[in-house]
Amino acid sequence: MNKILLIIQREYFSRVKKKSFIVMTFLTPLLIAGVYAIIGYFTYKGIKDTHDSVAVVSNNKTLTEKLQTNDNIEYTYINKSLEEAKKAIGKADYDYILYLPEFTLDAPKGIELFGTKQAGMSLNRRVSGDIEELIRTQKLKESGISQSDLDKLKTNVDISTKKIADTGAEEESSAGASTFIAFTAGVLMFMFIMMYGIQVMRGVIEEKTSRIIEVMISSVKPFQLMMGKIVGIALVGLTQFMLWIVLTLAISTAAVSLFVNKDDVKEIAAAQAQSQVTTANPTMSAAATQAGPIGDIQKSLAGLDVGKIVMVFIFFFLGGYLFYSALYAAIGSAVDSETETQQFMMPVMLPLLLGYALSLSVVTNDPYGNTAFWLSMIPFTSPIAMVVRMPYGVPTWELALSMAILVAGFLGTVWIAGRIYRVGILMYGKKTTFKEMFKWFRYKN
Amino acid sequence: MLSVKNIVKQYATHRALDNVSLEVEKGKIFGLLGPNGAGKTSLIRIITQITAPDSGEVFFNGERLNTKHISQIGYLPEERGLYKKMEIGEQVLYLSKLKGLDSAEATRRIRYWFEKLEMKDWWSKKVEDLSKGMQQKVQFVATVLHQPELIILDEPFSGFDPVNADIIKNEILELNKNGATFIFSTHRMESVEELCDNIALINKSHKILDGTVDEIKASYRSNTYWVEYEGDYAVASNDVYDVLQTENVKANTLVKLQLKENRTANEALSLLLPHVNIHRLDEVIPTMNDIFIEKVKGQNHE
Repeated sequence: MNKILLIIQREYFSRVKKKSFIVMTFLTPLLIAGVYAIIGYFTYKGIKDTHDSVAVVSNNKTLTEKLQTNDNIEYTYINKSLEEAKKAIGKADYDYILYLPEFTLDAPKGIELFGTKQAGMSLNRRVSGDIEELIRTQKLKESGISQSDLDKLKTNVDISTKKIADTGAEEESSAGASTFIAFTAGVLMFMFIMMYGIQVMRGVIEEKTSRIIEVMISSVKPFQLMMGKIVGIALVGLTQFMLWIVLTLAISTAAVSLFVNKDDVKEIAAAQAQSQVTTANPTMSAAATQAGPIGDIQKSLAGLDVGKIVMVFIFFFLGGYLFYSALYAAIGSAVDSETETQQFMMPVMLPLLLGYALSLSVVTNDPYGNTAFWLSMIPFTSPIAMVVRMPYGVPTWELALSMAILVAGFLGTVWIAGRIYRVGILMYGKKTTFKEMFKWFRYKN
Repeated sequence: MLSVKNIVKQYATHRALDNVSLEVEKGKIFGLLGPNGAGKTSLIRIITQITAPDSGEVFFNGERLNTKHISQIGYLPEERGLYKKMEIGEQVLYLSKLKGLDSAEATRRIRYWFEKLEMKDWWSKKVEDLSKGMQQKVQFVATVLHQPELIILDEPFSGFDPVNADIIKNEILELNKNGATFIFSTHRMESVEELCDNIALINKSHKILDGTVDEIKASYRSNTYWVEYEGDYAVASNDVYDVLQTENVKANTLVKLQLKENRTANEALSLLLPHVNIHRLDEVIPTMNDIFIEKVKGQNHE
């Protein structure tokens, strides 16, 4: 037992002390926060600030309604022919020319948009949307609806989703926020299992190629060495995770106090205190620096039991990591170098990738469906599927069952891997096949 | 101190050890010889408890080999290896703690050995920055640091330059004088003759020869002598000896004589002395190398 502790210690400290670990740990939250902040900023700004001026050249007599200038596009009707307008485009104060030829309202064809620059997708979509709206308005008017009635039709609908808990209490929830957290948790889980699983494999290969393995095995049992490595690296993962939480909190607090005025800070801080969700993912805290629509998300986050989600995340990270890293250790023991790992990596990667892809598509769309249920039960996919389902709420019995299956699953893979590992680490110079690994598995002692 | 009894080790298609038994006496240096693939490493791995035999038993000081003995055995494998990115001092410390030493004691001993082998300044160097010979030294220290009763060295001198090989040889002799028992696995027969008290020769999974080096060599004596003389005289076989070979070396003649049963070298000399001027008389004693080759080749031709 003492020996396992020594091995865990070495595996842990040799990694934590590495420069790359320190850099990764401190930089990753900053990077992620930064990237999201930039994306958020530009998307937000893009929605608000894009301003294109479009000159409308209309040869159309059927369409009597005029395009109205709105937030994004300034429409100016000009009295020039298309040719004149095209010639003038360099000097004139419009960027695009919208040409409306003669068409019937039922089949508007031949509309063209000219510009010195290629019109982007969003402009294209907006202009066509505006025209569609225009035609609809005109048709409605022709069928006898007045402008004032039309104005009354315009309503903004904002659905606030509430979930009725087992106790009967209504919980504030937001489909948007849940999906956001589900995605982040799924991506993080996938990254963590991959990253640390592969570290285990590398560690095993390193011991094998540097030939220290024989010295080690004359002092400790192969199983102790394997478990020591797996547990040591798991602790590295947890350390990194915890540091990220702390750092993210620190960064977001600092950022919030820098960029947002004081009243907002109070509000956000309150929301944070309630939710702590920001801890689960660095991206949220980046978002927290921008109040406004994101503030709404934060409010609804308060309805989620974030503490529970974080705990479940940690459990499934450890379970999923143990499940997969044992397989990675077995692969590492069977090969002489990293280049040989490919044929064995495929069958291990595939279920993980499948779980990842399905979790982020099928499960987020229908978190209570059959597919979601089975994905979150099978230990190959459950770590990702379950954390993706968590924000939407999972019945306790399902959670307990999934945890139990995962524990049984990793005990199984650790056992199988241990049997392959003890033989594999002493095998050199032979190209290993699955058949051979199966034989190793069956060797007695 | 170590008894290996009727060990059988079977791998999927071939039998690495077939009913091998041997005895290693306390305080001796035991040579485990054999060509590549004979089963030496398999046997060592059983003694170091890396693998278990299919049948047969190993006794350590009269006790069945068990995990408790791990701390009493030091093993230097033929394929040397250390963690490349780890500091030397820390690495040796780690390995000796795994053998059951506590930190303080291990540190004290590491300092002692590093001083002794002129590697004082190496503590915080990394393995990848050391030459191969230096790495070997580090590994040797790691092998003997926990003061094991039994030290198993697989090809201990490979990779050392003559100077360092000599340093290591002297360390081995000193440890041996202080009571450590050694098992050597090697192809280098000169070091066997120099160091080993006993040997066992393994070929094709079987032990084909064992005993003390002196006995084995004596049993391979064939009463054959080289005689070098000056003088114009052709030596011919007679009832004292047979002439096996004659050669001329510059002005001298060299003959290989084999004495007949119950004859002595003195009798042969007295026959020769009246005719020639004797320069030299050497008994032809087979080297371990000759014995090794003869035994292994002989068996392979069967």
